[in-house]
Amino acid sequence: MKQFNYLAPKTLPEALQMLADYKESAVLFNGGTDVVVRLRDRLIAPDYVVDIKHIPGLDDISFDEQNGLTIGACATMNAIGENEAVCKHYPFLAKAALSVGSRQVRNRATCIGNICNASPLADTGTPLLACDAVILAEGPDGRREIPIRDFFIFVRKTSLKPGEIVTAIRVPYIAGAEGVFTKVARRREVDLSTVCATVLRCGDEFRFAFGSVAPTPLRLVKTEELVRGKKPDAALIEQAVELARSEVAPISDVRASKEYRMDIVGLIVRRGLETLAK
Amino acid sequence: MKSVGVSIDRVDGIKKVTGQAKYVDDMKMARMLYAQVKRSPYAHAKILSIDTSEAEKLPGVKSVITGEYYKKRGGLYLEDKNFLAVGTAKFRGEAVAAVAAETLEIAQQAVDLIKVEYEELPAVTNAIEGMKPDAPIIHPDLGSYKVAPIFHPIAGTNISHHFKLRKGDVEKGFAESDYVTEHTYYVPHVQHVPIEPHVAVAQYEADGKLTVWASCQSPFAVRQALAASFDLPLNKVRVISPYVGGGFGAKAGTTLEGIVIPLSMLNCGRPVKLNYTREEEFEDSYVRQGVHIKIKTGVRKDGKILAEKVEYVWDAGAYTEYGVNIVKAAGLAALGPYDIPNAWADSYCVYTNHPVGGPYRGFGMCEIHFGLEQNLDMVAREIGISEVEIRRINGLRAGGITGTGQVLEDSGYQDCLETVVKEMDYDTPSVSPSPTKIRAKGIAGGWKSPSMPTDVASAAIIRMNEDGTFFLMTSGQDIGQGSDTALTQIAAEVLSVDPSKITIRTGDTDHTPYEWQTVASRTTYCAGNAVKLAAEDARDEILDLAQIKMGYGKRDLELRDGFVVHKMHPEIKVPISTFALGLTMPDASGIHGPLIGKGSFVVPNNMGFDHETGQGTKPVAFWTMGVNGAEVEIDTETGEIRVLKMVSCFDPGKVINPKLYDAQVEGAMVQALGTALFEELKLKDGKVLNKSFVDYKIPTADDMPELVVKVAEHAEPTGPFGARGIGEPVMVPGAPAIANAVANALGVRFYRMPITADDVLKALKEKKAQEA
Repeated sequence: MKQFNYLAPKTLPEALQMLADYKESAVLFNGGTDVVVRLRDRLIAPDYVVDIKHIPGLDDISFDEQNGLTIGACATMNAIGENEAVCKHYPFLAKAALSVGSRQVRNRATCIGNICNASPLADTGTPLLACDAVILAEGPDGRREIPIRDFFIFVRKTSLKPGEIVTAIRVPYIAGAEGVFTKVARRREVDLSTVCATVLRCGDEFRFAFGSVAPTPLRLVKTEELVRGKKPDAALIEQAVELARSEVAPISDVRASKEYRMDIVGLIVRRGLETLAK
Repeated sequence: MKSVGVSIDRVDGIKKVTGQAKYVDDMKMARMLYAQVKRSPYAHAKILSIDTSEAEKLPGVKSVITGEYYKKRGGLYLEDKNFLAVGTAKFRGEAVAAVAAETLEIAQQAVDLIKVEYEELPAVTNAIEGMKPDAPIIHPDLGSYKVAPIFHPIAGTNISHHFKLRKGDVEKGFAESDYVTEHTYYVPHVQHVPIEPHVAVAQYEADGKLTVWASCQSPFAVRQALAASFDLPLNKVRVISPYVGGGFGAKAGTTLEGIVIPLSMLNCGRPVKLNYTREEEFEDSYVRQGVHIKIKTGVRKDGKILAEKVEYVWDAGAYTEYGVNIVKAAGLAALGPYDIPNAWADSYCVYTNHPVGGPYRGFGMCEIHFGLEQNLDMVAREIGISEVEIRRINGLRAGGITGTGQVLEDSGYQDCLETVVKEMDYDTPSVSPSPTKIRAKGIAGGWKSPSMPTDVASAAIIRMNEDGTFFLMTSGQDIGQGSDTALTQIAAEVLSVDPSKITIRTGDTDHTPYEWQTVASRTTYCAGNAVKLAAEDARDEILDLAQIKMGYGKRDLELRDGFVVHKMHPEIKVPISTFALGLTMPDASGIHGPLIGKGSFVVPNNMGFDHETGQGTKPVAFWTMGVNGAEVEIDTETGEIRVLKMVSCFDPGKVINPKLYDAQVEGAMVQALGTALFEELKLKDGKVLNKSFVDYKIPTADDMPELVVKVAEHAEPTGPFGARGIGEPVMVPGAPAIANAVANALGVRFYRMPITADDVLKALKEKKAQEA
């Protein structure tokens, strides 16, 4: 790995200034569970590594019914997964956070890092997508809010602009919502998702968010449309399964075949509808 | 017995759990240089030119070498390997050049600056294709390679060994059979994934002395290989193997040592270190060979197997210097632990442009039993008897005859079978928790012998200190399997002292005595016999001196708890420390001097076999046999397979340390589970697609089933206290037991490992389509 300068700003403006100064030669460093791997594999070779973990307050997790859940950029997966409010109001998000890597990795890895890394199989991507979460970013041009559906652009590409730092993610509170997070992997612990998904019921609406079946985590909007306001009987479930399969575009890779992923998508839609309709 | 058969704590335990044990990677020496390797991006390519000039100019780079620097080939059984490619690169990831530099970073940068021009050649990426007459030839000079006389390379082909087993009249056997079945299987390459990757440091000094610190299983074999490769006398090569972080066979041979030695020679006096990354471990250490298996079986209505014809085609990789012996071992064991009167087996070692195949726990047995044991279940189903019954009928008993024509005086197989049947409550079907979660049980047997030349040797030395404590020296290496502890217990038993009074020292070819290799599940047996002989020699010396001191005949004296004791009058006793430096006589003169026991061992009556038929009186030291049971639960919607329970019963002859025995067996079952469900080196056009733990999965603690370990001890007459080797055999039936359980659950047979969730759903869909 190439030598680099390690910078540890104490305030957000300081961090933003560093990114403005060093531009492409700087990489933002949070939990490091992705950045360190990429450094070691020499996929990136930055001159500056800007560690935002020392900025006070960025690891906060707060909740109230009006504003929903706010997860700070530096909150770790374990902190999220074990947070009382998250467990109570967003248990599917807690489960997703705790499905990432190993306990040791989760002590470092952050949800925001997971989202910014924009892997198609980001485990915390689907619960946030299902909840219509909003990403809060600060940059040279000030603050902005990005709906998560506009955030993922492609594999490892987000709509963040150069020099922007995600400070938090806000997850709206949906009274009475019930959700199920599912991760299917080759191994139950310490593995990447073969398919991950969140199925969420909000009143008479069902939401389906899937990971690892397309270049980005995505919502199955047509399937959602199909079942909205209806009681999912056997016939509708079969229809939904078929439609869901047509909305995803998985690939075959070393982890699984395209066919297997398709089958799992169908299974998750079916199980989700059966479980949540009760 | 006070020490043997007792679960004492590991003698290396405290150092290991406190992190104080020093491994090669912990070694940092003054003026140490760091090596890095340039690797071929092609599966098969002619090396047109290598330009090292830019790399050499980089400040901090000390030396850059290519295969041209040292062209002599080497190898354990077949001299077909260069440490750095010469002329052609034969697998993707093969070392073509190496750098020594002041820092690791500089060495890495230098590697990037080496420019290699290649001309890509057609590659062999399938062993069966590689046997065809029109296949590209990987070693055109095979016919001229130096080879041990027990191996038979076929010049002008990719076949570096063909083992033949011919017993009885196999065609007549098929003709007399009521049912004849034939099936094929494939077992892909897997990697050992020791927790510590390969690492070595070499230092060449001005007086011509070469010292190599290597994480290796067999320092003497490494010394021999390196001395031969670099034309050095053995007294000028010292190989030190300190603590080893797991080997599983991968560290049995010589790999990266050959790269650091020439670099150290070019930088006289400066140690050079090379540490493989996990990725390099997957690509360029050793892998378990892949194998294509074909089994044809003829069976009588009553379940007696009359004939079996098997073919093993091994995908042995680019170099087979070690792999040829795996192919031989598989041939000798070709039928499994079954008494089959007519047999025919061919085992072929085939060069491919894949990573180099080498020894892996089981040495071919885990692979062939994946076919053999599933085959037995299918044969049983065919004739309408249970899978247990067919094993009862055909499993080897005392007086039974092995595939190689050896008459067994004793056999623990049947006891193991019955024990597992009882422990699994095998005849009671599993209860499935739901229609989509199906449970079932499976069973499989297995055997293995130490796959070693017939005359390989072991030695041990034991020295008594002035206070009656001892130093035990051998070169049987503790690679995690617990041999330091077991060997200490054997010595303690003979000397009748507490094991804490003995400190074991291993792994330094300048100071510890000869040991052929720590492989083949032979250390407790071979090194154990040498240790026992050394301890008996020391005991004899003590008693010789004691009869002078005590005035009683030797036959009336024995060692007991640190004393020489009169057998009939135990109150008459003298501490053994009295004799540590010999004996002081009443006139103040001394006799004998310091007490040292020595032991040398080779397997008695282990003889060669007929090369045309594989038949012999005693072609192997012993056979270790046993049986595994497995219960699985399969989610038919996701395809996920969970192993709920595994039971092992083996015949270890005599268990030296029950706690360590259990640990070995538990580890073996979980390792077998890994190969059955997760592990595969995914190869595409010779490229390893999953060369890290991101996509090469091994079991975690979460995947551990309930593990039950049983034994059926039938003493091995030539073993120390009756012990035979168990480290590898206990892994052999694990994967097929799981495969059989899966087949019993789903009614679908899987002919390939690993059995993944993806495979399960696909097979269930096909089954459904067929039924519809």
